[in-house]
Formats: sequence, C-alpha cells, structure tokens
Amino acid sequence: MCCNLFTLWRRELAAYFLSPIAYLVLLSFLVLNAVSFLLMVNFMDGRTTDASVMQSFFNTFFYWVAMLFVVPVITMKLFAEEKRMGTLETLMTAPVSDASVVRSKFLGAITFFAVMWLPTVAYAWILNYFAKDATPIDWGPVCAAYGGTLLVGLLYISLGLMASSFTHNQIVAAIVGFVLIAVIFFLGFLSRIGPPWVQAFFGYLASVEHVSDFARGQIDLRRVLFYISATAFILFVTQKIVESRKWR
Amino acid sequence: MIEVQDLTKRYAGVTAVDGVSFTVNRGEICGFLGPNGAGKSTTMKILSGFMPATSGEAKVAGHDVFTESEEVRKRIGYMPENNPLYPDMRVTEYLGYRAALKGVPRTKRKARIDEVLQLCGLGDVSRRIIGQLSKGYKQRVGLADSLVHDPDLLILDEPTIGLDPNQIRQVRHLIKDLGKRHTILISTHILPEVEMTCNRVIIINKGKIVASDTPENLTKMLEGGGTVRAEIRGDRPSVERALRGLPGVKDVAIEPANDDFLRATIYAPPRSDVRVRVFEAAAANRWTLRELSRVRQTLEDVFAFITMKEAPVKEEEGK
Repeated sequence: MCCNLFTLWRRELAAYFLSPIAYLVLLSFLVLNAVSFLLMVNFMDGRTTDASVMQSFFNTFFYWVAMLFVVPVITMKLFAEEKRMGTLETLMTAPVSDASVVRSKFLGAITFFAVMWLPTVAYAWILNYFAKDATPIDWGPVCAAYGGTLLVGLLYISLGLMASSFTHNQIVAAIVGFVLIAVIFFLGFLSRIGPPWVQAFFGYLASVEHVSDFARGQIDLRRVLFYISATAFILFVTQKIVESRKWR
Repeated sequence: MIEVQDLTKRYAGVTAVDGVSFTVNRGEICGFLGPNGAGKSTTMKILSGFMPATSGEAKVAGHDVFTESEEVRKRIGYMPENNPLYPDMRVTEYLGYRAALKGVPRTKRKARIDEVLQLCGLGDVSRRIIGQLSKGYKQRVGLADSLVHDPDLLILDEPTIGLDPNQIRQVRHLIKDLGKRHTILISTHILPEVEMTCNRVIIINKGKIVASDTPENLTKMLEGGGTVRAEIRGDRPSVERALRGLPGVKDVAIEPANDDFLRATIYAPPRSDVRVRVFEAAAANRWTLRELSRVRQTLEDVFAFITMKEAPVKEEEGK
C-alpha cells in the first residue's frame, strides 16, 4: 500500500518533469516573482515601512496571480490526461486502490508546487547579502509564510485535482479548476463587507488575510485546521468521483 | 480460471452485455469473437476489475472480480483496447514502473523486465521513448506490461488491431507461445487469428453468447460441411445428370471453367464424403478430373452465419 503510493507518486513527479509545460510553469512563476520582488525592493528602498520585505512579498498582487493561475495549470492534466489517453484503465486495473491513485496525484502536485516555491527562499538571502547595512532576517515569520502558502496550496490543488477528475479535456479541467479556486478566493473578500456574522463566516475563507497573518508570524491553529480539513474533504469527494465510473 | 455467471451490464439504457455465462479453463487460449459493439470490451473491462457488472457474477481464479478486485488484479495481465501507454517514458522505465505497481519485488524486477523484453522482442528498443516507437513495438510494450508480473491470466483486448500483416503474424506467434504458460482470453474480430491461435472460441453478438466451441467443431456445425468441388472435362448435361444421380448428393451447381473444364460444386450433408463416388463416376465415364476437393468452411462463414442470422454464402471464391 505505502510502496504503491511511493511508486505512483514518483511516476506523477516524473510525468511533470518529462513534459515541457512544467518548465514553462516554473519559468513564468519565477519571472513573475522576480518582478514582484524587484518592484517591492525598489519601492521600499530608503523608506521606513511597518512590514519587512519578506512579509510584504506574501501579500502582493503578484503572489495571488501566481496562486490563482498557476495551480490550475499544475493540476489540469492529473486525471484529464490519463482519461484522454486511456491510461486510466491500465492504472486502475493494476492492483492499486482508487484512494491511493487520488492521494498520489495530489502528493505529486503538492511536491511540484513546493519545488516551484523553493527558489524564492533565496530572496531572503539575496536581500541580506546585497543590502548596504543588512538587518538580520527574522526566519520565524518567513517559515510561517511558506507554511501558509503551502496550506493554501493544499486547498487549491485539491480543487484543481477535483476539476481534473470531471473531464478528459485538460483545458476544461484548467478552467473549471480556476473557477473553483477563484470562487473560494473571492468569497473571502466578503469578510470585509456586510453584517458582522457574514464577515465572521467568510473570514474563514479569506486566504489573503490568512497568508498575510502567517507572514506576520501569526500562526492561527483554526486556519491550519480549516485548510487541512477542507483539503481532506475535497480529496474524499474526488475519490468518489473517480469511483463513480463503477456505478454510472 | 474464469467463471462468469449471468453477467449483465447496462449503460444508460443500453444493455451492452446481456446475461452472459461462460467458463475458461486453466491453460486455454480462448478467443472472444464478435462484431464491433457486441460487448467484448465491456466483458473484459468487468473481468479486469475496471468496472463492475450491473448484475451477475464473475470470478477469476476463485476470487470475485468486484468484492476481491485487488486479488483478481494481481493475477491478471490486462491489455485494454487501443493499448494505452505513457508516451513520455522509456520502455524500461515504463516496465519498471508497472512492475513495481504490480508488486514485483525490487530484487526480482530487473531480471523479470529483461525476461519480458526478450520474450516480446523489445531488446533493441529498450532505451527508446515509447512515443517514438512504431505501432508494432508499442503493441509489444503493451504485451510486455501485461506479462511483467507473470500473471496466471492474460486478458488481451484486440492486441493485433492496426498492425500490418507481418506484425500481426509476430504477435500471433507470441500469443501462441504465451499460451503454453498462461491462460489467455483474447478478443478480436479478425477471424484467421482465432482459427490459428485459439483452442476455444466464444462468439458474442448483441451482448449474448451465440456459440462456444472449438474452432473445428464450430466449422463442422455449419451445414455444407460435406460440400465438394470438382473440375471435370466432359459433356455438361451428362456430367450434371451423373453427379445428381450419385447417392448422398443433394444438389449440384455447374459452371464453365477455363480449358473446357466444368466446375461442379456438389452439395452433400455434413460429415459425409462423396469424393470417392465422384472419382468413380468420372472414371466410369472417362472424364478428365483435374480437381477434387472439399470446400472448407472457415470460421468466417460460421461467424457470418451466427451473427447475421442468414445463410452463409455457399460458393467460396478463391479458397
């Protein structure tokens, strides 16, 4: 069981790096973040701000563009491509459970997501190395910010994975994935308008607030639990969708 | 090896498989024959555990394909229709991945992969990327994949589709070879394939089994098994009269052939042989006889007869 999961996960990861799309995604992601980082450093140069560069880095327009657009591209092929090529049939008739197939695809995408973010860790170091009078980086909030990014990533990737299990067309999977993610994302903004109970309710979905809280070093266990349980639920639904071929 | 009892599968209003029952014994190569859309692939998908039946039960090696799906899947090598593969992987990579997935222990994996590479004639292309291989090689990669965990039962859904005649012959030889060690259920609509490789044929049409026997018995089953063809030089009315007068002959059709010969098709009941009598008649009348042969009914005739519910064409041109 666990060996199967490992074998499947390795295949998912290999599938990413064997396709040119992966490199395109990595490249555009890094370009986007580099631009974001550069603009921010230029803007903050010589000014006094109440947030550090690394803290602001996780709260920019660019950060959310990357999250909203890159995740559906990462997840679109997961099931859709296997369905289109018919390899879902060879996969599902090997002695593996539907659950481990869903999990391995999810873990593969998460691993790719993490690999994608990894180079940005260097920004903190670059900042220190080239600054005239370097201030020591506060690694706590930086780690928390990456943790928050990963949590949001879990939820978004599981939504993208679910979208991919609906169809055998990757483009449709990407669009549906994007819509699902965008709905969650924009519902989060309702936490700023309306009566208090509406604000409180949609506060749970306000990813923008959550990530900026994490980047300030404020780790709220409620947020952690929300993302993990929502992801688990969506993976469960995805598994049922994959199983639905059996009762349709 | 396979026991199927009253298997039915309905998709959105369409009954693809309708109350099918059959068994396949260990060591058999069983051909699954039928026109397109007869329910061959559906039955195979159910047997391989990809999807369950609407009703009825199917067992492979004593395990139910639905409730003990993973046990069944360990024991079968299934090659789906159109042979789906990952085009971005190398042959050995793919087989290594599939072997791991199917539970071949790490220590035995390399030896096992080398074995199937050799068996399927893939030695020369083992380092190539699957997407760049020719269709014949891809087909063999699919076969190698279905074999890699040394399963008891192979389920091959149209393994020779889209291959050229040479490749078909190679794959056919390979399947025949595999039949010495594995039980095989193979589906096809290419009839010579079944005649040459299988020791049993199940003919399925519109979701129902219409015949199940050895290829020889199915051929014998057809009326016209005793039909004889003769080419005789002689006077047409007298030849016709003499042949019709022979005991056991039901009907005679005569048409002119080249060099003043007449081609006579002599219809006699199955399991009778009128060839000796035809020869004696020719000798007695001093006709020249240059051909005397049985018209062999092929599975093609059986197939057409059973699936189309109309009389087979009795004249077999050029056979």
